[in-house]
Order: sequence, then C-alpha cells, then structure tokens
Amino acid sequence: MSGEHRPADPSAARARRLSDAAALVTAAAPPVLALAVLVAVWEAWVRLGQVREYLLPPPSAVGAALVDEPGRYATAAAETAAAAAGGLVLATVAAMLLAVAMAHSRAVERALYPPALLLKLTPIVAVYPLFTIWFGFGLWPKMLVAALITFFPTLVNAVVGLRSVDPAALDLLRSLDASPPQILMRLRLPSALPYLFAALRISVPLALIGAVVAEFLSGDGGMGQLILIANGDLDTATLFAAVVVLVALGVLLTGLLAYSERRVLFWHASTGDM
Amino acid sequence: MAPATAPGAALADASPPALLVRGLSHLYRSPAGDVAALDSAALAVGAGEFVALVGPSGCGKTTLLRIAAGLLAPRPQPGDAAPTVELFGASPDAARRGRWIGLVAQEPGLLPWLTVERNVRLAAELAGVRADVPALLERVGIAEFALHHPAELSGGMRQRVALARALAHAPRLLLMDEPLGALDELSREALRLELLALWERDRVSVLFVTHSIREAVLLADRVFVMGERPGRVLAELDVALPRPRGEELVATPAFVGLESEVRAALGRRGAPA
Ligand SMILES: Nc1ncnc2c1ncn2[C@@H]1O[C@H](COP(=O)(O)OP(=O)(O)O)[C@@H](O)[C@H]1O
Ligand SMILES: [Mg+2]
Repeated sequence: MSGEHRPADPSAARARRLSDAAALVTAAAPPVLALAVLVAVWEAWVRLGQVREYLLPPPSAVGAALVDEPGRYATAAAETAAAAAGGLVLATVAAMLLAVAMAHSRAVERALYPPALLLKLTPIVAVYPLFTIWFGFGLWPKMLVAALITFFPTLVNAVVGLRSVDPAALDLLRSLDASPPQILMRLRLPSALPYLFAALRISVPLALIGAVVAEFLSGDGGMGQLILIANGDLDTATLFAAVVVLVALGVLLTGLLAYSERRVLFWHASTGDM
Repeated sequence: MAPATAPGAALADASPPALLVRGLSHLYRSPAGDVAALDSAALAVGAGEFVALVGPSGCGKTTLLRIAAGLLAPRPQPGDAAPTVELFGASPDAARRGRWIGLVAQEPGLLPWLTVERNVRLAAELAGVRADVPALLERVGIAEFALHHPAELSGGMRQRVALARALAHAPRLLLMDEPLGALDELSREALRLELLALWERDRVSVLFVTHSIREAVLLADRVFVMGERPGRVLAELDVALPRPRGEELVATPAFVGLESEVRAALGRRGAPA
C-alpha cells in the first residue's frame, strides 16, 4: 500500500539498491565485453606486425602513454573541461534570460529570433581569431566558443519549454491573480526544466568540441594543444591517449548531467520509475 | 440553511447574487472562421446556492465558466449589447483580484514537482492567506497522501487535491468544470457523494458544470440546461429535494421525475447528452 509515508524500510531500500546494481551490470556487460574484444583484436593485430606502430599504436602503448604522464593529461583535461563547462553555464544563463523575454512577448521573439538564427549559422570557428584579438589567450575566448556553439539549442528548447505549461495549471494560477513573475517562477521555469535538460544533453558534447577546437586554433593549453603537439611529433600513442581522455571526459560530463537530471526531474515521466 | 430559492427571489435579495450572467455571447476567433460559442446565455447563482449547468459537450459551458472566472474576456457578436457578468455585484476581474473564486476543472492541473501538501499550500500563498492544509486534506479524504507527488495518485485522488486547493483560500464562489468528468464510473459516484456531503456542511456558492443529468439533480438546488452550440440557456429547473441528500434519493419518484424533466429540456433542441 502506497498510502504510508514513513521512511521506507531500510532493508527494502538496500534490496532495491542491489537490484539496481544488478540491472546496471546486466546492461553494461555486453558493451564492455564488445569493447574488450575489440581492444584484444587490435592489440593482436598490431603485435602480429600487420600495421606500423607509428600509424596505429597498440592499446598497450596508448595505456603506457597515459600511465607515463598522468599529470599532463589531467591538467589538460581540466583546462578543457573548465572551458566547456564555463561556456555551457554562460550559454545556459544567457539563453534562459533571452528565452524568458521571448516567451513573454511575440514581438521580442520576432525581433530576436533572426539574429539568434544568424548566430547559429555563423561558423564560430571562423570568428575565433577575432576573440583572441579581443580577449587575448586563456580561458575566456575558449569559453566563448563553447558558449556560442551551445547557445542556440538551449534558447530554442527554453522558449518551447517556457510555453509548454499545463493550461489547467495556468488557469488555476491566473484565477488566483498570480502575477507574471509568480507564474514564471512557480509554473513556467519548472515546466521548462525537462526541455532544458534535453538541450543540455545536446550541448555537453558540443561544448567539448568547441573547447577543443578553440585550443587547436590557438595552441593555447588544454587537450587541443596536447593533441597539436603530439601531432607535430607523430606521437600517435599520445594522440590516441588524448582521444581516450576526451571520451572519458564526455562520459563523465554526460553522467553528471544524467545524475542531476534524475535528481531534479524526479517528477517527470521521462525520468522513469517515480 | 439555504432552501432552493427561485431565481427571482435570489435576485430580489438585498445581497447581490454570487454570479449573474445576462446576454452573454462569445465568438472565438479562429483562422478557419469565427466560432460562436455562446449566444446570449443567462443564468444566476444565488449566494450559498449550488447551481448545476448541464449541456451537451461543445455547447459553451467551459467558455461561460472561464469568462465568469475572469480568465477569458467575452467577445460579443458585432452589434450586440455589452453582456452582464457580475460576481457578488463586481466584475470578474475584481472578483479574481479579490481571490473570491475557487476553480476546479476537468483536468486537475496540479504541479507535478510539488507534493500534495505543497500544491494545496500554493493556492493559499498566492492568495496571501494562511490555510490549515492538513485539515483541508482531511476534509477531502487524502490526508495520508500529503507527502506524495501527483504522479503517485489515481485520477480520483488528484481531483480531491484539486478540490482541496480550490478551497484553500476560502473562496466565495466555487467554479467547477466537469470536475468528475475524467474519472471512471466508480470513483465518480463515490466522489459525487463526498462532494455532496462536503458542500452540505459548508454551503459555499457553487456553479457546477456537468453533462451528467443525475449528478446535476443530486447535487444542485437549481439546474440550468444549455442547448447545442452556440450555447444558450434553454431551461431552468428548481430541484426542491430535501437536504441532506443521499444515494437512496436517486430511486425516489421525485428524483426520477426531475431527471426526466432535465432530459426533456435537453432534448428540446438537439440531442440529449
Ligand atoms: N480557443 C478556441 N478557439 C476556437 N473555438 C473554440 C475554442 N475553445 C472552444 N471553442 C469552441 O467553442 C465551443 C464551445 O466550447 P466549450 O466552451 O469548451 O464547450 P463545452 O465546455 O460545453 O464542451 C466548441 O464548439 C469549441 O469547439
Ligand atoms: Mg468543457
């Protein structure tokens, strides 16, 4: 009976955690196994002398590169992650502010949508030299690239989300003479959260790409610079190691996002078992 | 005690009626051409009176109710005189600003991220009043679900929450738009009786939209019958059945007689609901 709201029985909670863990193992086993087979075949292939090592290093060499200088990868990854995350935050805040204005006024929407669309269609990479002239090197120009790439998807989703309120709930709030700011805070923003998370799922990988590309172009720190240097040395093991680190970073950020989505959107149908 | 009052008596009363609608027409603008939803509709709800509005679906009941709640501005036919829509002698906007209205619609419209308790409290907070939320939840029979979220409740329980929320700021007029319409037959009958008992204790003024003839006769002091779109009020019937009323009433000749009167009024133009 679900009528009780006492804290759930701890042993039941433990059993549920265990069954969650079992489900995770079941779900993760096939892809992990497939990956292991791929790595083994790759290693064997290179060892058997089928490929030159400077073209395709064996997984063991990639692993060795990572283990040799973990600090170097960690520092570079942290720089790239900072640029990507900073850009994401910047873009999300700016897009939300603009979306609130656009969701409240069709005139504002009509005025601002075309410039926003132009921004989306601008190859940001082409603007990057300008950023370095304006802002010099360092975190800011990289963050701006990540922000500009992720701004548009967030804006579009936020506008749709702010408008996608339950009409019955809106009627109720209006019947209580709720002010537009009250309706925004109590109804529109929470209603927009699922849309915002959907946008972030697109934006997280985009922001990483933006940060790395900016680092390529300027040779200014982060994973991008690490790759640039390794490329100059024909150091393919390091190049592969860098890819591994970037994938790990993407998985980490996506995981963090999925975790916070489950926490924040516990009430939303898309988040499953609640 | 509020005996079933004749409409004339309610209007002659010194205190203005809870709701007075006269000559209300409404045209919806739509790209495919205008839709006439109401055609000089008229009705009144006396203070402390439970009034049911019955009509086939699409006849304009929701439109009338949303205009009364100040959620929709009436748009008369060109050339029509301005309609009268007054709540306790004031305009719908003034009634809304005074938080006189409690609204329950067919969809519960609960905020899914808030618990039952917080959903009900929200209404009191917005109205700027203090509410005894546990007592309200007790009254509608969902006290034990206070800390649950709407997704964990059945449709019937969600409507109970919506009702508690509508009562949270002690409104002067309850506007209910087919509040039981989305429920299965069993929950519907149970909730109908609870609503009856709840109202017979409080006697707040109610306009109750339904397309169930039985519901209208069982609950109301007076029934207004609307015809097919564009909605106009075709008939007005007093339900002079004694209160408190109970389920056993529906088998009595008086009840059955009233039911067939409403049905006949509905059938006078267009098909019955
Ligand atoms: N926003 C709208 N735009 C155009 N037509 C509408 C709109 N809302 C309702 N209508 C039409 O007005 C008529 C009355 O609707 P409604 O008041 O919802 O009826 P009821 O509540 O009695 O079922 C219906 O024919 C409906 O199609
Ligand atoms: Mg309706």
